[in-house]
Amino acid sequence: MALRDAAIVGFAETKIEARSGREIWDFAAEILESLITTTGIEKDEIDGFLINGSMTGAGNCFWSQTTAEFLGLELDFCQTVDIGGSSAVGAVARAAAALDAGLCSTILLLNVDTESSEQNLNMRSFHGEWIHPYGMIGPPADFGLISRRYDHLYGLDLEALGKLAVTQRNHALLNDNACEKLRKPLTVEDYLNSRMIADPVRLLDCVMVCDGGNGLLMTTRKRAKEKGFDSFVVPLGYGERTNYRTTDNLADITESGHLVAGQKAFAQAQLKPADIGSYQPYDDFLIAVLIKLEMLGFAERGQGGAFIRERNLSFDGDLPINTGGGQISAGQPGLAGGGVNLIEGVRQLLGKGGARQVKDRRHALVTGIGGIPYGRNWTTSTALILGSEG
Amino acid sequence: MTEVLNDTLSVERPAPRHFAFAEPFWEGTREKKLLLQYCRKSGQFQFYPRPVSVFTGTRDLEWREVSGRGEIFSWTVAHIARPPFTGHTPYAVVTVTLDEGVNVIANLINCPLDEVAIGLRVRAAWTPLPDGTNLLLFEPDGTAAV
Repeated sequence: MALRDAAIVGFAETKIEARSGREIWDFAAEILESLITTTGIEKDEIDGFLINGSMTGAGNCFWSQTTAEFLGLELDFCQTVDIGGSSAVGAVARAAAALDAGLCSTILLLNVDTESSEQNLNMRSFHGEWIHPYGMIGPPADFGLISRRYDHLYGLDLEALGKLAVTQRNHALLNDNACEKLRKPLTVEDYLNSRMIADPVRLLDCVMVCDGGNGLLMTTRKRAKEKGFDSFVVPLGYGERTNYRTTDNLADITESGHLVAGQKAFAQAQLKPADIGSYQPYDDFLIAVLIKLEMLGFAERGQGGAFIRERNLSFDGDLPINTGGGQISAGQPGLAGGGVNLIEGVRQLLGKGGARQVKDRRHALVTGIGGIPYGRNWTTSTALILGSEG
Repeated sequence: MTEVLNDTLSVERPAPRHFAFAEPFWEGTREKKLLLQYCRKSGQFQFYPRPVSVFTGTRDLEWREVSGRGEIFSWTVAHIARPPFTGHTPYAVVTVTLDEGVNVIANLINCPLDEVAIGLRVRAAWTPLPDGTNLLLFEPDGTAAV
């Protein structure tokens, strides 16, 4: 099976900063240098490159090539992955496919964005005609509509969302890479009392946009062993769905493509939700984490809130969730944000979690959410199951 | 006390740029007519306007005038806003399921906050844009059968 013939041999992450004023390629350089230093793989061995589409690079449709040139990379495979917040997780599957096809042998997966410092997006889409005339303020309004519909169908459990916010915040307190502004203790009352943004979405339901970068080095499993890596991470199962039920005019917006992406990933990995030692769901809004618990089979439909109340989601609990704080409490480095959850999954599997290391480091599940469609939930849903080896 | 929602009618909205395949929709709004794309092959309406039937992938589409009546599918209240909506909060953004089976996003007007609810019957309302077209909004449908 192609996917599990690939190996993640290194990971890197910068500190997440709010309005850093730093150059995006400075973050890229920090990641490249860190990966080379920590893995011993030399720059010249890197012959493949994937980078996320970013808010800062949005004006340049030669983004992967330009960035590769700034980094001095000579490549046989070079590509931008432009599925929004799903790009980081999606890149792992694309890298595995490229390795399997022989397009390259050592590939850098880079996620960088400085959205809070330099935003160059010129969105050519449905927004101008059908969204902006109504004063929709972007994702919080979309998630307001999703949350209200969820409330109508199942009841929105604010206490459960508050517990999730507190759990993730406690994890960020243990994460030196988390944005300093967010590294303050939080209570459920703080969550409930945070100001309304797009009712019922509160301030503490939302991510804060920041700057930062993260990345992985991947090669084939065979080559990883030949090079003497005694421990690495293997992708075991992957599912991706873009435009879930897009031709169903009245589709249930509390159901996402993770339903099918998750089933595919678990089947491919030959695992079930109970086998997951740490779960790192893409968290632009807390409600997305709750809904995905239901989509991925951890909880029954409508029972995501009850699941959050009943389980211990802390790093030392029975289902550790977003053990680095997630994006909501570590900060969202723009469209590199998907890498925050992904890197934490890899870190935990390699036993590098430090003060927040989970007990069961056999399998991790990471998800991605990318793009906001018209009147639905999100455009691309990804689910990736990773396993540790060695 | 009933919280009053801003009806957004005093927001100075610019006329949006139209994609060419959406032009019949906007032309219809000049006479406050709501026109939707209809796919004959699949027998379904679609919204927003596209260059192709999303159901069949062919361009066999026609425009049909519809009632503008429907019910609220979901709703949110904006408490923060960007220009030109700055200073006009709180206002309601709703998804409406039209009786013809499509979901449309717009502002809800003439409705106190405590009467906004999923399932509330609504009808089309219009506000003028600078280019002579009208923007589709919704208001409670007082004539709806209960």
